[in-house]
Amino acid sequence: MSQLGYLLIAVGVILVLLAIFFVTFVLYRKTPVPKGCEKLPSAESCSKCGLGEGCALNIYAKKEDPKK
Amino acid sequence: MNAYAYLVAFLLAVITDLLVDNVVLSRFYGICSFIGVGDQVKSASSMGFAVTIVIILSSAICWPIYYFILVPAGLPFMDTLVYILVIASLVQAVGLFIKKNSPALYKSLGIYLPLITTNCAVLGVAQSNTDSGLLAGQTLAENFGFSMASAIGTSLGYLLIIVVFACIRTRLETYSVPKAFKGIPIALITAAIMALALVGLAGLGS
Amino acid sequence: MDNIRRHQHQESFVSGIISNNPLFVMVLGTCPALAITTTMEAAFGMGLLFLFVLVSSNVLISLLRKIIPEEIKTPSNIVVIATFVTIVKMFCSAYLPALYNSLGVFLSLLVVNCIVLGRAEAFADQNGVFDSFLDGMGNGIGYTLALCVIALIREILGTGYLTIGVIFTFIPYFRLPVLKALDGSYDYSMNLFASPMGGFVVFGLLMALMQLWNLKKKAAEREAAIAKIHLAAKEGA
Repeated sequence: MSQLGYLLIAVGVILVLLAIFFVTFVLYRKTPVPKGCEKLPSAESCSKCGLGEGCALNIYAKKEDPKK
Repeated sequence: MNAYAYLVAFLLAVITDLLVDNVVLSRFYGICSFIGVGDQVKSASSMGFAVTIVIILSSAICWPIYYFILVPAGLPFMDTLVYILVIASLVQAVGLFIKKNSPALYKSLGIYLPLITTNCAVLGVAQSNTDSGLLAGQTLAENFGFSMASAIGTSLGYLLIIVVFACIRTRLETYSVPKAFKGIPIALITAAIMALALVGLAGLGS
Repeated sequence: MDNIRRHQHQESFVSGIISNNPLFVMVLGTCPALAITTTMEAAFGMGLLFLFVLVSSNVLISLLRKIIPEEIKTPSNIVVIATFVTIVKMFCSAYLPALYNSLGVFLSLLVVNCIVLGRAEAFADQNGVFDSFLDGMGNGIGYTLALCVIALIREILGTGYLTIGVIFTFIPYFRLPVLKALDGSYDYSMNLFASPMGGFVVFGLLMALMQLWNLKKKAAEREAAIAKIHLAAKEGA
């Protein structure tokens, strides 16, 4: 297969992956937490770097300085 | 090389990443979550299992994409972008599945899934598997085998260290630590001693 | 009005360096802090590349903040950051191959660096371009300083020399003998600090120092508050 053919396939794959990425992200944000799990530290507030209130990785919860 | 030699090489590669050149204590992947895991053993093991699943699946997907799609197209430099897309999409898809179908799984795993996207270990393994390229005389299949061995070893190593660390920290809570060292500093010193313990296994894999 | 704006700009720049230092105060981005800091030059190089990624992604995300819809801000941030990391990787492998070899995977791991993602989401998504630029510069300089402090301690105590000119080849090669003589006549270096264990130890001790300083500051504030209460009570009585 020619170089151009592979290049087009690769660009296509990257675009498909981007689409899957954005779509799954929006869907994930939109589906509600299952019933009975609302009181857990929410995944949304703990997303990406876990610095929300009560999150598992939030070891600065008691700091009074603003997180910014 | 016959099948037996392959198996031995595979196991050695797993053990190298698991113990000798441990992914957390020697190569410093996944330190953010390692420090922050605190002393709950249950949450540590949930995190470890979630990371294991994501590492193995994402390595299995990223390696073929690199060697069969990116390299023939002349785009090897797009690997970082593609890998992070794959990892994040995987995490989000798995999270979506768990949210919709299994409240029990969500209770134990769901909160950690978004954190796995930014875990250095996942992207680190996927990237280092393809960064070095094919060694002299290595076939693609052998490279894939070693990449999967690295993925399995890394994830097991992460799981092991995180659980052991959480257990140690539960004990550490009961000791009287100087005020300046409470929390993160003593955790780091503990990690230093754990790293020292693993130095004794150096040279095992070669 | 102008003075207030200038003060806000200064505030976001300066706070990233000392008071909200991303590594020592917010404890983010710890992976490279332990892995890269065996040599001073590698740490400095990593800091500079990190600064470039942080500033450029902050600026671009801030420029695009009104165009991108709210729901897909986070994924688009990641795509922007990944693009800049790829650019930096290509630049580094072309012009500074020694740095590229010593940084290894950790250059790619800037994509998931909590500082870059965190500043993008917390600051660049809401603030103007110049503010985001200053915020990125402040945090980048703070992180570079923090990395260099750790690397300085680890390299001098671990190898005994302070070597420059290996990675940045346009600087003449120079070895400063601190704990180890060039001809080997004395050698007080401790190899421990160059090993992974040393990284944990140095970082742990520096964090302990930070915590000690914080505790002392809090105690001083409490003393000042108590003194003020006593004074007010005395005046009232």
